Amino acid sequence: MPLLEVTDLKTYFRTDDGLVKAVDGVSFSVEKGQTLGIVGESGSGKSVTCLSIMGLNAKRNTITSGSAMWKGKNLLTMGSKELRTIRGDEIAMIFQDPMTSLNPVHKIGAQLSEAVVLHRDVTKAQARARALEVLKAVGIPRPERRIDDYPHQFSGGMRQRVMIAMALVNNPDLLIADEPTTALDVTTQAQILRLMNRLQEEFGSAIIMITHDLGVVAETADDVVVMYAAEAVEKAPVERLFKRPQMPYTWGLLGSLPRLDINVDRLVQIPGSPPSLLNPPGGCRFHPRCPYVMSVCKNENPPLAPVDGEPEHLDACHLDQETKDREATKLLASMQAGAA
Amino acid sequence: MATTTEAPAASRKSFGAELLAVEDLKKHFPVTRGIIFQKQIAAVKAVDGVSFTVREGETLGVVGESGCGKSTMARCIMRLLDPTSGRLVFRGRDITNLSRAEMRPIRREMMMIFQDPYASLNARKRVGFIVAEALEVHRLGTDAEVKRRVQELLEVVGLNPEHYNRFPHEFSGGQRQRIGVARALAVNPKLIVCDEPVSALDVSVQAQILNLLKDLQEDFGLTYIFIAHDLNVVRHISDRVMVMYLGHAVELAERDDLYNGPKHPYTGALLSAVPIPDPTVGRAREAVVLEGDVPNPINPPSACWFHPRCPRFREGHCDVDTPELRPFGHGHVAACHYPLEHWPMTDEELRRPASASAV
Amino acid sequence: MIRYLIRRFLWAIVLFFAVTIVSYVLFFIIPANPAKTACGQTCGATEVLRVKHFLGLDRPIYVQYGKFVGRLLPFNVWDWPPHFKTPNLGSSFYNRQPVNKLVLDAAPVTASLVLGGAFFWMLLAVPIGVLSALRPRSLLDRMSMTFVLIGISAHPVWIGLIFAYFFGYKWHITPITLYADFIHPPPGEPGGPIQWAYHLILPWATFAILFAALYVRMIRANVLETLNEDYVRTARAKGAPESRVLRSHVLRNAMLPVVTMLGMDIGLALGGAVFTESVYSLPGLGRISVQALFNFDTPTVQGVIVFATVAIIVFNLFVDLLYALIDPRIRLA
Repeated sequence: MPLLEVTDLKTYFRTDDGLVKAVDGVSFSVEKGQTLGIVGESGSGKSVTCLSIMGLNAKRNTITSGSAMWKGKNLLTMGSKELRTIRGDEIAMIFQDPMTSLNPVHKIGAQLSEAVVLHRDVTKAQARARALEVLKAVGIPRPERRIDDYPHQFSGGMRQRVMIAMALVNNPDLLIADEPTTALDVTTQAQILRLMNRLQEEFGSAIIMITHDLGVVAETADDVVVMYAAEAVEKAPVERLFKRPQMPYTWGLLGSLPRLDINVDRLVQIPGSPPSLLNPPGGCRFHPRCPYVMSVCKNENPPLAPVDGEPEHLDACHLDQETKDREATKLLASMQAGAA
Repeated sequence: MATTTEAPAASRKSFGAELLAVEDLKKHFPVTRGIIFQKQIAAVKAVDGVSFTVREGETLGVVGESGCGKSTMARCIMRLLDPTSGRLVFRGRDITNLSRAEMRPIRREMMMIFQDPYASLNARKRVGFIVAEALEVHRLGTDAEVKRRVQELLEVVGLNPEHYNRFPHEFSGGQRQRIGVARALAVNPKLIVCDEPVSALDVSVQAQILNLLKDLQEDFGLTYIFIAHDLNVVRHISDRVMVMYLGHAVELAERDDLYNGPKHPYTGALLSAVPIPDPTVGRAREAVVLEGDVPNPINPPSACWFHPRCPRFREGHCDVDTPELRPFGHGHVAACHYPLEHWPMTDEELRRPASASAV
Repeated sequence: MIRYLIRRFLWAIVLFFAVTIVSYVLFFIIPANPAKTACGQTCGATEVLRVKHFLGLDRPIYVQYGKFVGRLLPFNVWDWPPHFKTPNLGSSFYNRQPVNKLVLDAAPVTASLVLGGAFFWMLLAVPIGVLSALRPRSLLDRMSMTFVLIGISAHPVWIGLIFAYFFGYKWHITPITLYADFIHPPPGEPGGPIQWAYHLILPWATFAILFAALYVRMIRANVLETLNEDYVRTARAKGAPESRVLRSHVLRNAMLPVVTMLGMDIGLALGGAVFTESVYSLPGLGRISVQALFNFDTPTVQGVIVFATVAIIVFNLFVDLLYALIDPRIRLA
């Protein structure tokens, strides 16, 4: 049984301009100890998906439906009190911007202990000892001194380590990381990714890694969900996705990425820009930008269905299997040529 | 990938005359203190002695992490900031100390594209006005001519010329960056300094802008100084690449030389830190993970600026002797006492430099 | 921090001189004859001249200002070793009373009004502001925003008159005018804490309404903004209940700018809550400065200005210290 099973998740926001369908029927599951990568551009709904699972969207304007089964219970219909006992304990989250995600007026020790005290029946001293332990685990130098510092006394990379420490303080079963390295420099990013890898081995948590960076996904994820315009358009084990991508949007993403290890003269470009979620295009949402568009694409939204003979690999596209295989091979071949 | 450090000579492009020469450029921001009289107690050495040249028609990429001084350097080149010392020579003319009035005709030839397409366009002005502004400042043409030129420019950058009268907020992020490009192109500049032009954009849109910049370079013979933190993007667009760390250029080389055979350990660390979007390649390689953070530029490390984080650090040498930029052939220079012998390297090899290079 | 305080203090001195010089020069420019006003309508020209000489008004302006400053310093400049004395604001042109006494008598009245008013406006503004931020667009929010609009647009004199008419004149719930001293009432007049508070209820309410309205709006905006901060989301993601999120992560951060504003507003208001004092005939600083202005009584006006400047400076310093205490980012800067 998967640790978390999300089925047909829909999150709509009521705004003054109308209903924004930020997540529109997304399904995926996370296995114990595994890393699921969710990749997509801004506005694809990847962050909202996870905030919905955690019940962190503003309640007033949000309509959520579908189910997110966690240990036999639906997180989406659970009472807020029960959800709070899971949040920060069994499921923890780290956010994109470490500069703003810590409260500037509290010492980091207090912010870490708070997470412990909320879920464990411990004394202040015990909570502090635990905070110290995780600070050490995430590689903060001289933690016994830094524990009484304020967030602004830490660099960006160190703050993200503190955020990770805070998430891991209760040994969560699932860690949701929302663009954890996007605000960081590349060498710091490497440190944080390596740290998360090591901690996953140590703590055995499953991870949902939300990112726009295919490189980060390739280096960290076991399974990948590609999102476009509030929908999941492709889902596969990481090796499969990069070796046999099935969906024109995924091809576009892979081809439009300038790469360190490959020479290309011209990047593949996806024309146009992602659609408004207020009024998304009918049929397949990618069809206005798709070079392979057919008449069926404009009327029918393809369901996310398994590729022939590959039950693990799902995609949402009307193209026939032969074309998909041919185009995927072509794309990979052109990249190989660049690498040689 | 081959471990050779030299690309075949045939693949080397040749470029025109020297367009811009930057000599020992420094920009120090004073840190002051005092109750009534402010006295300078220190300086942030944002740029501390950078030299390079740019030839006509080429793209010089500048990479470095935040705080390495790359944006400050760009602003000094544009004379938006006054350099503390050093020389800027543009088309054979020393422009370091030119007055505002003397700079004006030169500003037509050097334009800048900024990072944030939201913040760098005046939200209350129509697109036509934004693009035409430079034309009007330099009094080029009548109203009708200006309008025609603006519409032509919008078309060149891939926007609908009919959108002349729209406001910036009616465009998407990528389209706004196109407006920024059109604005820079308006006066037919020679040199365009691009400061992180695609880092605020999504991948698919980023590719559009990168392709556009490449096309424009071919069509109009433009020269770029392309500043970015993303090594992938810099590799894609540049002919030569300069790596900056703490206000210094630590390595400068032709693109393939730098990416296939970095000499400076910092360059090596940067390259191996970039995640590669291919699980088989990415997970197989051994990453050089640097310890710690970039030091505070108010109080930079002595001698080699990189020594506190360097895996090849040798006590008594790197923290005593400041390394000079040393040549490695084909204009490849790097400032290191223990340059990398080959690339890629294992962690073991990296930590064990062959010997102090004999110079 | 010490350096910072020294710098602030030096600036305060500069500010002090700037304010007093400007007001002196203004008085000099006004085409009025304080000597004649002080002397009375029946005075002849020679008598006016004599009064003018007696008041020192025939000397050049810098001499007058110099004397003013000399009186104000806590020691005599020309004595060595310095001989300490009480700073002296001089005497009123109009009734020859020492300005020190005038100001010191009036200050407690204004302080009672302002500090009590501040207490009431915060008592009103904090809960209303926070609650309407927590439920934006709710009935409560709409009602409080209406109150804000009324509070900001209605003139304090009008509010004062309405209150006095209904609560005092019609329903006899409160006294209409006058002040009751807290400790030493003049013989035959009401005094003591209860009478003091009883007499100040209407002035407090009147004075508090405008500020309460402004503060409701400010607190609401701050809380709304803080609720959207990333660290509030972090706190929720930790599993903190809403009450704790509000107490520990929202309020403290949202109140930072409010504290600054409060200090500045109290400092400003101490200079004289003119309208409220006028409506309720409270013998506070506002009222004596208005009277002094009508009489061209420079020393009294200067006295109030000096007091107000000092009050503003002291409160700003106090706010800075308080701010440093609650915001660690400032503390270390």
